[in-house]
Amino acid sequence: MSETHEASVVRENLWMKALRTAGVPLLSVVLAMIIGSIIIKASGMDPLLAWGALLKGAFGSPDKWAAGNFREFGDTIGRATPLAFAGLALAFGFRANLFNIGANGQLLLGSITAAWLGLVLAGLPGVLSIPMILIGSALAGAAWAFIPAILKAKVGAHEVITTMMFSWIGLYLTSWIIAAPLKDAAGNSQTPMLAQSVWLPTFDKILPGLFRTPVNAHLGFVIAVVLAVVVWWVLKRTTLGYGVRAVGFNQWAAQNGGISIAKTTVYALCISGALAGLAGASEVLGTNHRMFDEVSAGSGFGFTGIAVALLAKSHPVAVVFSALLFGALSAGAGMMQLTANVSDRIIMIVQALIIFFVGAETVITWFIKRRQKRALEEKGATDVA
Amino acid sequence: MWLSFFTPDLFASAIRMATPLALAAIGGTICERSGVVNIALEGMMLVGAFFGVVVTLATNNVLLGVGAAIVAGVLLSAIHAFASVTLRMDQVVSGTALNILALGLTGFLMEVIYGHPGATNGIQHIIGPVFNFPTGGTGVLATIWTWIDQIVFSYTPIVYLAIIIAIVAQWAMFHTRWGLRLRALGEHPRAADTVGIRVQAGRYSAVLISGALAGLAGANLTLEQVGVYSDNMTSGRGFIALAANIFGRWTPAGSYLASLLFGFAEALEIRMQSFQSVIHVPVQFFLALPYVLVVIVLAGFMGRAVGPAAVGKPYEKE
Repeated sequence: MSETHEASVVRENLWMKALRTAGVPLLSVVLAMIIGSIIIKASGMDPLLAWGALLKGAFGSPDKWAAGNFREFGDTIGRATPLAFAGLALAFGFRANLFNIGANGQLLLGSITAAWLGLVLAGLPGVLSIPMILIGSALAGAAWAFIPAILKAKVGAHEVITTMMFSWIGLYLTSWIIAAPLKDAAGNSQTPMLAQSVWLPTFDKILPGLFRTPVNAHLGFVIAVVLAVVVWWVLKRTTLGYGVRAVGFNQWAAQNGGISIAKTTVYALCISGALAGLAGASEVLGTNHRMFDEVSAGSGFGFTGIAVALLAKSHPVAVVFSALLFGALSAGAGMMQLTANVSDRIIMIVQALIIFFVGAETVITWFIKRRQKRALEEKGATDVA
Repeated sequence: MWLSFFTPDLFASAIRMATPLALAAIGGTICERSGVVNIALEGMMLVGAFFGVVVTLATNNVLLGVGAAIVAGVLLSAIHAFASVTLRMDQVVSGTALNILALGLTGFLMEVIYGHPGATNGIQHIIGPVFNFPTGGTGVLATIWTWIDQIVFSYTPIVYLAIIIAIVAQWAMFHTRWGLRLRALGEHPRAADTVGIRVQAGRYSAVLISGALAGLAGANLTLEQVGVYSDNMTSGRGFIALAANIFGRWTPAGSYLASLLFGFAEALEIRMQSFQSVIHVPVQFFLALPYVLVVIVLAGFMGRAVGPAAVGKPYEKE
């Protein structure tokens, strides 16, 4: 009697687990789009036309694909690339129970480092210069996370405030570097154009047979995918990753187990910063080939990275898919604005709703835990009997 | 040169700049004292600032605008209360979602209503100062009077209101039954529950109050200071307010005083910009000043700040 009961509990848990892993995020996206549609409709515009245009802008159409024109797919992947790096940055932090809300600042530092090193190393062949630039940007991002990390570890200053402050400081610092020492010769608020040797090659250069027209998707996406697997492996299989997960799961238990909370916190936030720095580098080397002066620190890839990581529930590999979804939303937004006259800000609203619904999943988890507890209690009662 | 740098207006400007920070910070204090973290202060200020302008433009009545700002803040905070108290959602995640929602919604509606991105239309008249005493003349007495008039009598209504709110909230938090109960919610909700305090209702009301105050802060920004809503115009003030709350050790009066410090940094930043020809420091360094100050304050002055024991933890009735 007790065995069949146990089996049913296990079976139910597997089903619930599957639902929790994929079902809730998907449901969240659908719900968010429905509410987004209501908002569009209420503003006197046509939601179906809007989403249709968005799909077309994000993926193109079959006749284009047949001609080897994957421009829209390329846009989606291009937009997804910095989001994947930023999502990995946030996800790594979340695993250690750290909220790197100011990842955008580390991203900007990564960008400016790439824009500078790209100029300095222009004479070297790409196989040498590009890895050096990427490492430099990662270090810059890590450095920008270092002070908030130390403050968190030593005086307990909350990283939500300190990284946010550093995000604004980073915005003004890079803005000054772009305006003064690294100013473009033409005098615009941008750094000089980088030499082609340091550009990350686009997919049409890598696979000219498949992509017969130019696309924006570049090698950075492949790097992001590889990095996602590496981050997954680090979290799963290394001592550092074990420490990060232990601290994230239960600080006091981790400390009792001999893991230094302070050290793990500093490592985790700096690695998160390094990943954010790479987001900036990939954007400079792969897409813009220079750095523009950011208008606002309140938006940007670093902030979308929050939504990317939450939707992926901080699983590194899931981050890639989550980034592709947000990349598609972002790539299609232009077409949506053009065709259906719907502001691209609707994407931001949908993004907020997705975060909200994924976050509300705790409710489901809570119910499951309660049911498990009750099941266990019942089982305990029957065992005693 | 220094005489023209440290004018009475510099200090008056500090108090003006401190006002939105202080209102939001006091809101944050009340909210955290009840055990709920509110990082959505930024978003609540944004919707307050935005809807204040929208309703003022639509009705030509700035009082209705202030009312709308408060209502907008309260509505957004109601979502936060529902998420963090009823759904027991992660409060930081809920706050983040609401910040992004506020940024998206204001940007979206701006285009729908005014047909262009970036900023709303401007309101015709911003709210003026409460007092208008004559100044001028020469001599020591006239100078002293100018200082007094600037530092004491030059402000708009919400600036005075913020000072009153700080005093009343400080008194209420430590000398009334409401305050005692509020603090119990954040320190030991289980004990509060045991003696018959309704934890959920108490937390709801605290979150809603913080929304009202943050909305009022937004009204101060647009309806008293600049007269127009521009995209993401709070620029991190909600987070600075949270820092002010910590620096003020989770007390309304402390929050106000800490906001004065950050407000002074902002005033200094604006003043230095006008002295750029003399000081020769790039403008971006001044702009970064308030944020740097926040980090220094959190790092140095703070020591180990200890907030309410149960802050951020959802309460589950047994």
